[in-house]
Amino acid sequence: MSMDTWLKKMSVRSPWLFRINAGSCNGCDVELATTACIPRYDVERLGCKYCGSPRHADIVLITGPLTARVRDRVLTVWNEIPEPKVTVAVGICPISGGVFREGYSIEGPIDRYIPVDVNVPGCPPRPQAILEGVVLARSIWLKKLGLEG
Amino acid sequence: MAGFLKVLFRNLMQGPSTDPFPLGETFTPQRLRGKVHINPNLCMGCGVCRNSCTAGAIDIRQLEDGTGFKITVWKNACCLCASCRHYCPMGAITIDNNWHSAHAAEEKYDKVEQQIIRYEPCSHCGSLMRPLPLERVKALYANDDSLDPKLLRTLCPKCRQIEDAKRNSCKLPGAPGKSASANDDAATPASAAPTA
Amino acid sequence: MSDILLAVVHMCIFPGGVFALAVGMLFKGIDRRVEARLQRRVGPPLVQPWLDVAKLLTKETLIPRTACKSAFLLAPVVGFTGMAVCAAFIPVPGVFQGLFNMGDLLVLFYLLPIPAIAMMLGGSASSSPFGAVGFSREMLMMLAYETPLLMVLLAVAMLVGKSVGTGAEFSLLNVVGWQLENGSIGFNPVMIPAFVAYLMFLPGTLGVAPFDIPEAETEIIEGPLLEYGGPLLALFQIGTALKSFVVLGLGVALFFPGTIGDFWLFNLVWFCLKCLLLMLLAVTFVKSATARFRIEQAFRFYVTVPTVLALISLVLVWAM
Repeated sequence: MSMDTWLKKMSVRSPWLFRINAGSCNGCDVELATTACIPRYDVERLGCKYCGSPRHADIVLITGPLTARVRDRVLTVWNEIPEPKVTVAVGICPISGGVFREGYSIEGPIDRYIPVDVNVPGCPPRPQAILEGVVLARSIWLKKLGLEG
Repeated sequence: MAGFLKVLFRNLMQGPSTDPFPLGETFTPQRLRGKVHINPNLCMGCGVCRNSCTAGAIDIRQLEDGTGFKITVWKNACCLCASCRHYCPMGAITIDNNWHSAHAAEEKYDKVEQQIIRYEPCSHCGSLMRPLPLERVKALYANDDSLDPKLLRTLCPKCRQIEDAKRNSCKLPGAPGKSASANDDAATPASAAPTA
Repeated sequence: MSDILLAVVHMCIFPGGVFALAVGMLFKGIDRRVEARLQRRVGPPLVQPWLDVAKLLTKETLIPRTACKSAFLLAPVVGFTGMAVCAAFIPVPGVFQGLFNMGDLLVLFYLLPIPAIAMMLGGSASSSPFGAVGFSREMLMMLAYETPLLMVLLAVAMLVGKSVGTGAEFSLLNVVGWQLENGSIGFNPVMIPAFVAYLMFLPGTLGVAPFDIPEAETEIIEGPLLEYGGPLLALFQIGTALKSFVVLGLGVALFFPGTIGDFWLFNLVWFCLKCLLLMLLAVTFVKSATARFRIEQAFRFYVTVPTVLALISLVLVWAM
């Protein structure tokens, strides 16, 4: 195994998470905060860390149906994230629009604008389901680096 | 000062309270709402679930050739409010506690619960209809032993009306051989016919 | 010529560079793990800081269009090298005496703020408004925690200097040597306030809660580090790890430089254990139980409590 491959293999064990709220009702954000803050769902076991800056992020967790007002900001922030990045849509809103689907102010679902890699449906999903999504995102990250998970 | 030291010490002594989930097993509450299932034997395609669905995740449409209908629940739009289960008159919708919902984005449109329900021909006239489940028919006509639930459920609404008329014609007020004491029953045929 | 070569070896391998990095990273891992345990979590593996650095090396580097490119790229390098040089001055009692006669408390005092200055430089070069806010906060914090540090150093220097008759002894080599003969300063009742002040200085200089105000990720989204990503951020992380080794090592050298036996390996392990204990006491316990101060609260705290404590020691030493 070359140095480069080894480095890439190691790198997926340190996924830093970044949250984007695309007009969410905060239900999913509360669940994300739960995975970060509550000892029962300690996300730091997987090497994850919620980071404040999009420049540090590896896995982006997007919540909310992408409202018209927030669309451009979400796209700006998302474009600031360095490659390779994995996008996870948390909750049904970013995936399909959820209960807000076809609303007058809804621009989503989010994959109209952003290539999504992992979906975690639920309203909101369980913290365990979010953890499952992060683990899945990790294997997709490996694939993006050119290695099979 | 001493308070937080006490808390820290207690935490250190008690050890981690972390759920071992991605690395091990986790707990699942019995009544957790996870995935929707439709029982194809019970669903009549009445559309109450579609009307009550908050997120518009349920779709019911006739098959192209008219031999049945298709009911679809898109789990990626389902907000797990369970109002479909609540309002379903047949009790055909159940929600299990399987919360393993994370999936790759390519499978976005595969995450559906779909049932194709075929019509069956009416045993009299042969036109296509959705027969009621036997249990349900038995429950509906439980107070009248003269009716045969097995026969009734295979009849289309029209044929059932005809059957009803045939059965009740002898009881009509002006009919021959009819006694006056049957006046109480006179109301029943009139109300029985629309139930079909 | 050989002196310079030796200095380079000391800066790159032991105790600066590789050794300091290994110890700093291990301490960071232990810190995160212990913090998790104190909060009833499991916590990341001990190698997590290394994994973070490995991850950051594989990421792409983005430079803001409006940034001052040279300063932006230079800042993490300055912080990293400053600390690598600084680590070479740290004496490991019984193993290594510190770099020649340059191991001077005042030199260390001038070298210690380099990572903070590098962070301010990077933050202001990134042209981000959050970087500017982080700049001003970092500046204020630096002013606040450098004052008690200077007083602690003066108190130690005066104590040793009065004893050997030179007035004030600023050579770290002599300070450690004097303590090995006459007992550790930390056990001297006069110096206990100074030691407490040094413990309070540690979380401020290492930028951990409750004093992580310049890099507050929730309010000013990591401030000066906002625009950094990839290998540049990895350099900052390495710099922080080196800095934790330097300040902890300095604390041990100033207050508890005792040795056990003559064998160098035991002394090395003993030194690391003392550093670890210092870190758990001053950083991990505090960090896992407190929330972030506001900047003016932190400033007021530093100019009152630790400064006064250090001043008490200074006056007592002077009056003795």
